[in-house]
Amino acid sequence: MSSHKAILSSFVDGAPPGELADVFADIKSLTSSSPNLVNELGPAFQKYNEEQFATVKLPGSSQQVIISSHSALGGGRYYDVESSCSFTFDHTTQKASAVESHVVDGEKADLAKSTLKGLSTYVKEHFPNAAYGAYLTENDTKIAVIIVANKYSPSNFWNGRWRSLYIFDPASGSLEGFIKVDVHYYEDGNVRLLTNKTVAASVSSGTGAGLAREIAAGEKKYQEELNRSFTSLSEGAFKALRRQLPVTRQKIEWDKVASYRLGQDIGGGAARR
Amino acid sequence: MATADPFDSALDLLRRLNPKHTAEHLSNIISIAPDLTEDLLSSVDQPLTVRRCKQTGRDYLLCDYNRDGDSYRSPWSNQFDPPLDEAGGLGGVGAGGSNEGAGEGAVPGERVRKMEVKANEAFDVYRDLYYEGGVSSVYLWNLDDGFAGVVLLKKASPQSDGASSGVWDSIHVFEASERGRTSNYRLTSTVILSLATKGASLGEVDLSGNMTRQVEQDLPVENDESHIANIGRLVEDMELKMRNLLQEVYFGKAKDVVGDLRSIGSLSEGQRERDTQRELIGSMRR
Repeated sequence: MSSHKAILSSFVDGAPPGELADVFADIKSLTSSSPNLVNELGPAFQKYNEEQFATVKLPGSSQQVIISSHSALGGGRYYDVESSCSFTFDHTTQKASAVESHVVDGEKADLAKSTLKGLSTYVKEHFPNAAYGAYLTENDTKIAVIIVANKYSPSNFWNGRWRSLYIFDPASGSLEGFIKVDVHYYEDGNVRLLTNKTVAASVSSGTGAGLAREIAAGEKKYQEELNRSFTSLSEGAFKALRRQLPVTRQKIEWDKVASYRLGQDIGGGAARR
Repeated sequence: MATADPFDSALDLLRRLNPKHTAEHLSNIISIAPDLTEDLLSSVDQPLTVRRCKQTGRDYLLCDYNRDGDSYRSPWSNQFDPPLDEAGGLGGVGAGGSNEGAGEGAVPGERVRKMEVKANEAFDVYRDLYYEGGVSSVYLWNLDDGFAGVVLLKKASPQSDGASSGVWDSIHVFEASERGRTSNYRLTSTVILSLATKGASLGEVDLSGNMTRQVEQDLPVENDESHIANIGRLVEDMELKMRNLLQEVYFGKAKDVVGDLRSIGSLSEGQRERDTQRELIGSMRR
């Protein structure tokens, strides 16, 4: 049974952006003969939500807050610096409850708050729909910065997610993390773009504004690089696989295809193995 | 609420999970729901495997349609590898007996095999002209009112820079129903395309997937040669259409969605520009 649990967990883990509920419905249908299996998937849902930076609106608020291991307090509770509160998160239903006040203070907390201020302008200017957060991490020695942007369009069969994570070490000035893009297109097919860019930079000005500037510049550069890679893949690897038309720029004359064969043999083109 | 059919759920799941690892997901689903094994194996397309024909030294492609048990038939020699045990060993399965564990790999009758030989020659030309490399195979089998077949093409391209790579698999399954001087063709085509690239400032990019399209057409038939020409045109048109579609989805749609997630330009400036434009148009109307 444990291997079945591992398999089902891998399905949860692989759910495309915005499609966790669909994947879960498929899992339930496939395991209807042993319905207890799905009850064991709590840890898989937690892993998915924390790694994918699931967002949730707190009761009575329109602001989205982020679920991640860096904002976890343990016991299913998470906190948010911006709104100074903590809450319980149900990983299966993705609902937040039991909101309480949670104030962080001290030098690092001030840095996290000034980073949030710097990020707010950047995120507003470049993400139509994103949540962002800054947290104290690694025993409050470092700052974790998270940006997650989702756009779901299931009626047009596509969904996408941009997520980035940065860990800033004020002691050394190092900024490390990743940018990941996940796009799923599934109209009469299944096409997936998955990218992973690791970030390793050093930020001389250890201010929140300086951090936000570094992140903004890096993400701009990355998106431009990614756009160039679409062009180079299209012009390179894709073109090398199959031509749009033969060299002659003409479709094949199928009635005469047998004579092509002869021509190929003479040209020595047949035995390319 | 009505429960979904497990087979439909399995297909839905395969349409959502990373298409680069369809084979792995498929075997995982089968271990969860073994009842679906046969149905899934015959309806889910996977990247094709290449094997070298022992008799002719030429490469051919393996699929469910040229499989019998653990053996695969080469289109070049018409021989199974490993050879089928005709007599059926002790405790084994006799030639005409249970076909449990067998694939669809029935050997076509004489007329259809003749067409198969010609079709393989024709699509070898097609492969050379369009793919400039790669491997092709055509398998045909008899139907009550005609015949059916599959045209397979595969090409892998490692780039000279070593950073980018790509694999293309085409699977065209068709049925030809003969109705006097015309024949009705039903074609279902799947292309599995996997592309990857990486670089220091780019990181890793993987763009993988599959798309399926169908077409049905009635075409005139004079003789068996015209069947091959008809199928050739259908497959050629379909691949051209699908290549354009793949280009649009892989490089156009994917890039657009990334742009929808994050805008390279400033959103407020873009909004200001749109507002200015609207005012301009408004003032011209006045």
